[in-house]
Amino acid sequence: MDDFLKRLPYTGQTDIRLFAAAVSASHNGVVITDHTQPDEPIIYCNKAFESITGYTNKEIIGHNCRFLQDGDNNQEARHLLRQAIKNGEHCQVEIRNYKKNGRLIWNELMISPVKDQEGNVTNFIGIQNDITRRKEAETALIVEKDHLEDRVLERTEELQESEAYLASIIETIRESLVVLDENMKVLSVNDHFCRFFKSAEKDIRGKVLFEHNNGQWNLPELKNLLINVLPNNNPFEDFEIENEFPNIGRKLLVLNARQVTLKGKYQDRILLAIEDITERREIEQRKEDFISIASHEMKTPLTSIKGNLQLLHRKAQQNNDTQYLSGFETAAKSIARLEKLIYDLLDVSKIQSGKVGFNFTKFNFGNLITEAVNGVQATTETHTIVTTGMADIEITADFGRLEQVLLNLLSNAVKYSPNGNQVMVHTSILPDHVKVSITDTGVGIHERDHKRIFERFYRADQISEKFPGVGIGLYVSNEIIKEHKGTLWVESQEGKGSVFSFTIPIKR
Amino acid sequence: MSKILICDDEQEILDITRLILEDSGHKVLATVNSNTVASLVEKEQPDVLLIDLWMPGMSGDQVVRQLRKNESLSHIPIIVISASKEGKEIAYAAGADDFLEKPYDIDALVAIVEKQLA
Repeated sequence: MDDFLKRLPYTGQTDIRLFAAAVSASHNGVVITDHTQPDEPIIYCNKAFESITGYTNKEIIGHNCRFLQDGDNNQEARHLLRQAIKNGEHCQVEIRNYKKNGRLIWNELMISPVKDQEGNVTNFIGIQNDITRRKEAETALIVEKDHLEDRVLERTEELQESEAYLASIIETIRESLVVLDENMKVLSVNDHFCRFFKSAEKDIRGKVLFEHNNGQWNLPELKNLLINVLPNNNPFEDFEIENEFPNIGRKLLVLNARQVTLKGKYQDRILLAIEDITERREIEQRKEDFISIASHEMKTPLTSIKGNLQLLHRKAQQNNDTQYLSGFETAAKSIARLEKLIYDLLDVSKIQSGKVGFNFTKFNFGNLITEAVNGVQATTETHTIVTTGMADIEITADFGRLEQVLLNLLSNAVKYSPNGNQVMVHTSILPDHVKVSITDTGVGIHERDHKRIFERFYRADQISEKFPGVGIGLYVSNEIIKEHKGTLWVESQEGKGSVFSFTIPIKR
Repeated sequence: MSKILICDDEQEILDITRLILEDSGHKVLATVNSNTVASLVEKEQPDVLLIDLWMPGMSGDQVVRQLRKNESLSHIPIIVISASKEGKEIAYAAGADDFLEKPYDIDALVAIVEKQLA
């Protein structure tokens, strides 16, 4: 038991001793000062006060409480305490104290005056509560809050930057962009849109697209695309519309539309990209017209040359004049080549403009093979074309176009195997397709060119010097096979010959 | 000797076609002016008419339609000659009897004419 308790007068009333024991056992620090003595010395402290402050009873008793300040005197709480003591009043503060080892403790201190019968203050009782943990948590919270605010600020800046960055991209794009909400109201348009359609953003923003500018966008196909087609075919690309626009005249536009599926506030918004292809289409059309007119114009002199040459050839034969016969034959071959070139050019032009007419009929596949093989066999004395496999089946296809493919592949096989003497044609009937493979023993094709040889005007490096040609035949053949929903491919190694194969469906 | 009328706006085509057909023993009349074809047919009553498709003035198919409307001339066989493959459909739609694509082989030209004469 504390010495203080022992010194309390024994009155026979046990309750005072019980209270004293309770004070002593409290987890809160308790001190009592003597207000009658100068400098308010401590006359009592409990165990908890000792353990909280780290000082021993001996170091505490007889001293003013200020030893706990450790020089940290300039505190508002201290001023309040001094004021309360001076006025003999109750007071509660949170004050920074320092343990004997110098560590900071936050002290929630409550002081109450004790008065004698005349009302004079004799003592102050101080109850001390160590709230360091709470204070630390509060401080940590404040720090965390500041940190969070910094982060938010940082992120906001980043977002603003990235928004500005995206906006600058959107504004740089030379394509018109429109953002619509799900009710087709315009949320924003980019600069290019305003420049192209000669309208101000403020005039269109917030308007329903179809109602803007006297309904210049009120096009049934566009309405159908955005309202009915897009929700089930998102994104929708390459939708062409041609329309007369009030400020800019007739335009051919390609539209790409995408509905935002991302959950959140942007969901269901529609992004509409509009590309003006009016000029491009005109140029394409002019190019097509040019090729078409040019090849037509070439045919007229060619008709004259061919007719005159054949007539002269006939006359020479009639007169038994053999001197120029080989010259006539060479000229005839050159004319044939020129003629084929003109047809190929026309084909390319037609394929590119999608104007190739296909004429699908039912015929025997074997007849097609025979006709094409005979056709090429007649032009070569060096090679024998050997057919193997099964081809006796009725198919639905374009006879003339497939014959064109076969003639091209067969004459290539002959042309690119100058040292060979045989070309193999193998046909087979698959469950739904027919397959043709044409094998030669010629120069072959490097693997890097296997895909590219089907491109327009492409010619493999190793052959372009030795063999004349412009690189149209395989392109046209591939397009024809594609139109039949079939596949054309090559298997080949340089120097070891090539196998060109295609499959097409038996039924269309 | 059969009488053949040819119309083409290109003089050189007209010349070689005439040479080929004359060499095969036919009598050939030729004109570069498509607008005169109908009256020439009426006046000369040729056994066959050979006509180009794309020409200044009346186009070949217009001439064919005009002739087909005239009952006294509608029996005359007409062969359309064109540098364009697509001309075939146009020619038949107008009422032509046969079609030959330019540039043609002289054998093919002679054969198609004889077929119409037979």
